[in-house]
Amino acid sequence: MTTTDIEQLHKLMEDALPELEALIGWQPGYDALHAAPAIARTPEEASRLVFNPFCIHNLARTVAKTPPPPAKEGEAPKKIGVCVKGCDSRSIIALIQEGFLKREQLYIIGIPCKGTIDLRRLMKLAGEDLRAGVKSARIEGDSLVVEGAKGSRSFPLEKVLARRCMRCKYPNPVIYDVMAGDPVIPRASEEEAHKDVDAVENLPVAERLAFWQGELDRCIRCYACRNACPLCMCQDRCIAETRDPKWLPQYMGLSEKFIFHFIHAMHLAGRCTECGECERVCPQEIPVTLIKEKLNRITKELLDYEAGVSTEAVPPFLTFNPEELGI
Amino acid sequence: MSGKIYISRDGLAAAMEKLSRTMDVWTPAASAKDKWGVEFALYEPGVKPILDRQSTLSPKKTIFPQVEPLFQFERTKDPEDPSKTLIRLKDRPDAKPAIIFGAHPCDARGFFTFDKVFMEGPYKDPIYKDKREKTVIASVVCRECDDACFCSAVGGGPAEKEGSDIWITPVEDGYVLEAITPKGEPILEGLGAAATSQQEAAAAKVQEEAAQQVIAGGMKMTGETAEFMKHFEDKAFWQSAIAGCISCGVCTFVCPTCYCFTITDEARDTEGDRLRSWDSCMFYHYTLEASGHNPRPNNTDRYRNRLGHKFAYFPEKYDGMIACTGCGRCIRNCPASINIWKIAQSLKEQADACM
Repeated sequence: MTTTDIEQLHKLMEDALPELEALIGWQPGYDALHAAPAIARTPEEASRLVFNPFCIHNLARTVAKTPPPPAKEGEAPKKIGVCVKGCDSRSIIALIQEGFLKREQLYIIGIPCKGTIDLRRLMKLAGEDLRAGVKSARIEGDSLVVEGAKGSRSFPLEKVLARRCMRCKYPNPVIYDVMAGDPVIPRASEEEAHKDVDAVENLPVAERLAFWQGELDRCIRCYACRNACPLCMCQDRCIAETRDPKWLPQYMGLSEKFIFHFIHAMHLAGRCTECGECERVCPQEIPVTLIKEKLNRITKELLDYEAGVSTEAVPPFLTFNPEELGI
Repeated sequence: MSGKIYISRDGLAAAMEKLSRTMDVWTPAASAKDKWGVEFALYEPGVKPILDRQSTLSPKKTIFPQVEPLFQFERTKDPEDPSKTLIRLKDRPDAKPAIIFGAHPCDARGFFTFDKVFMEGPYKDPIYKDKREKTVIASVVCRECDDACFCSAVGGGPAEKEGSDIWITPVEDGYVLEAITPKGEPILEGLGAAATSQQEAAAAKVQEEAAQQVIAGGMKMTGETAEFMKHFEDKAFWQSAIAGCISCGVCTFVCPTCYCFTITDEARDTEGDRLRSWDSCMFYHYTLEASGHNPRPNNTDRYRNRLGHKFAYFPEKYDGMIACTGCGRCIRNCPASINIWKIAQSLKEQADACM
């Protein structure tokens, strides 16, 4: 965001805040390469909110699963304000469609997004240079410019953006009350959006199996992927953890990991909006969103449905149509 | 002779190969091809040690694995009286000798927390003790401090030897190794050439420079029980401190001191294991009671407990020892970028402001 955009964003926040219970946005994180979700209630707190390519968290999850409680107990809550990127806005739509959020209880500040940074990709390129003492970082044109302890360095965006951003068709919020900044041009076309799925799918079956065995074997069952998902709704009743009935043993074998990940994915069929949070939060760098991208492609081909683009649409698995379209 | 040895960078694999003939050799290596993450893996030919970057998960799994059978059981019928079921237990084999080659000082100190709980009573854990006593820790002097580190604020330091048996100092083209406990001495015998005085001087310089790194602004922390208790009921404080917490297990799983576990019987047909596996206080099921009641139903309650355990309850119970080594893993890996160090600090600052 440019300085003008940030000023505009703060102006929008300031105007909206008096009517809001709280405003969910991002604040600076522990260094210049991190941001963190934040809940602002006062103009002073709102003035500390930021937007930059490190605002990687999907705040739809926060507003849906851990919304800030009313400041005064007993009083009817006011609207909750939430800042959204394009991908976050699609999660909001899906949550409204499924009845987890009510449109009239939200005040949505949309922010066009030029992409978020995958820190591991960045560190692989930058190595030692950016380990500590980074002063600032910003997107300039097609580059990420980082002012590090050893001077300024520039990185091509396509080498440091998150995979989800490289295939993003919706950088501009799809649902919003106000928009901060001008729309940006999508990075990927319809055809390009699933090229990562193609790459895996084009592998011979044995190699494809080996690929997933290798990736999923690193899973540590920390459930960050599940908990980060705005649409994963079983939560405390997840089959991976329930004790009565107990579906999955505590073993760390490949079969337990496969079962968890594929059930997670199947529960998102026709629902996942590809925000990529499951993949971003994985401490083990497992490309878990790929499984959901594949399911989305099947959903698109068979049912002509894309999740999280219209609050009016009914998700295919929330309806029963005797003449199921396209099947 | 100082007893210090030198191993060249190219000779590292041969040294590990030699060690691996008699013991398990755990070393940090890339978690997979083309991945940034580092994890402790058992050495085998082809594994390339990465000694200059912190591993994603601490090496606690080498002594306290994520899952381990405490024993195996088998149900059989009593041939004399088929209405009776007999249970036969099979003990686990004794631990193998092992070395953690390439821990960081904060990793090594992490085991102090485990030792208090598992070895100093009142309940002593024979499985942990067996492995702990047979494991040698060789740590690398740390030159990789970043903005999430705060080791020196909680009693450690990048050149703090306490907790390690062997001290590894990277110098140009290689490493100088020094045994700092009797446990470390036999390991180094015949593992490399005696270090020259030049190599020793270079190592001393590296150590000195490492020790001079200023970490966490030079702050120091002791047990924060009083400050923590003051904020215990302050819901607004905790909600704002952990905005965005998704209640996953990342912070506890990457942590070198988190030792909570669960025990389950995993049976198939007539046989099975009694398993001990990592649990996480950030999980809903961690405190779920048999009645269905959950005393810590939401993420703020759980996070408050996690922080309280490390900085208040543990020091209170164990002579002031903070159950955190300041390695910064939970900060770096948190999906919501929650900063335990900053929260611990702000407890203190706000308490000071109240006075």
